[in-house]
Amino acid sequence: MATVIMASSKLLIRQSPPTPSLSTITNKSNNKLQVTLPKFTKTHLIALSSTTFKSLSLLTAASFTFAPPLLAEEIEKAALFDFNLTLPIIMVEFLILMVALDKIWFTPLGKFMDERDAAIREKLSSVKDTSEEVKQLEEQAAAVMRAARAEISAALNKMKKETQAEVEQKLAEGRKKVEAELQEALANLEKQKEETIQSLDSQIAALSDEIVKKVLPIQ
Amino acid sequence: MNVLSCSINTLNGLYDISGVEVGQHFYWKIGGFQVHAQVLITSWVVIVILLGSAIVAVRNPQTIPTAGQNFFEYVLEFIRDISKTQIGEEYGPWVPFIGTMFLFIFVSNWSGALLPWKIIQLPQGELAAPTNDINTTVALALLTSVAYFYAGFSKKGLGYFGKYIQPTPILLPINILEDFTKPLSLSFRLFGNILADELVVVVLVSLVPLVVPIPVMFLGLFTSGIQALIFATLAAAYIGESMEGHH
Repeated sequence: MATVIMASSKLLIRQSPPTPSLSTITNKSNNKLQVTLPKFTKTHLIALSSTTFKSLSLLTAASFTFAPPLLAEEIEKAALFDFNLTLPIIMVEFLILMVALDKIWFTPLGKFMDERDAAIREKLSSVKDTSEEVKQLEEQAAAVMRAARAEISAALNKMKKETQAEVEQKLAEGRKKVEAELQEALANLEKQKEETIQSLDSQIAALSDEIVKKVLPIQ
Repeated sequence: MNVLSCSINTLNGLYDISGVEVGQHFYWKIGGFQVHAQVLITSWVVIVILLGSAIVAVRNPQTIPTAGQNFFEYVLEFIRDISKTQIGEEYGPWVPFIGTMFLFIFVSNWSGALLPWKIIQLPQGELAAPTNDINTTVALALLTSVAYFYAGFSKKGLGYFGKYIQPTPILLPINILEDFTKPLSLSFRLFGNILADELVVVVLVSLVPLVVPIPVMFLGLFTSGIQALIFATLAAAYIGESMEGHH
């Protein structure tokens, strides 16, 4: 459709005489275009009479690329690729904006962020140091525990030894006592034995006399 | 003849509904030179938005950032990241350039899609994103060219010209040509994308005023962001390329 529009507008414009002034899209050129219109059918007239000033310039803009050299000047004002003082002004505006943004945003906030990063990193590293301290403290605690355990086991050993010694002493005492009693009982027994033997000895003599008397008849 | 009448009628009807204006500019005269006033006005608005929000958000930085400050810190990190990946370790001095490039294009593009410019009537032309004017995009692209030439010269002095005969002198014409194609492609890519996007939205709105243009509008927002990112990334890449050593 675009090509159709272009073609049609080209036709239109070629039939219109080039306007002398540079400020083209004025009422003047509008009139001139309309003056040439009666060459077309009635429908065109109706269509174009309602055409606004803007749409005419649109048509001319659309036909710019195909327009003959004479018309190029005329359409200059309604062009897509219209370079003028806007370009350097935008450049200057951009540079000013760059400096201003740098001053109020990039540099201060960047500096602030870097400082905060550094502070956080420092804090983190210091936290790592305290973790070493914690390790030391843990070691200390372990040492204390070890010492305490050693102490306890020593005390336990000592106590064991002491009680054992006591027990042994008591045992020895008991044994001695028993032995003494045993000795005494044995001595008593021996004594009784000897007494019995002695008494038996005296009886033996009498008995043997009697035996002899009985065995040997009295001669 | 039939085709002609048909097309003119169609065009007329379309025009009355949509008011598509291509290549229409609102002119001011400054010292005998013409400027595109609509571009300047919108660019001022964009600059005011950028500076104003930055001043409000960064005025009093907190160690634990507030929501606004957090966002601005995130954007700064993002810009630094782009610069660092493209330029390398010496990215520091280029952060303002890359960052302003990205932010200016991004806010310009989105302002064209989001701000109701049409409320303000101009005698001729209409307010739109500053980036849909070729002057803006060419200005930014030329600044990029200047920036990478400056980067190369400040780093290597006249030795910078050595890169034109790298890797072989046969490539000299192509290397020289590149200095022209770089700003050309940068500016036309941005210009074409933004202009086409706005035209598509306008035409769709004129055809179907409800619902249908919405996905295209979202696509436009997406494209706008991507274009800003591409422009900034390529600018950084060119700067990095001219600074890197050729051995």
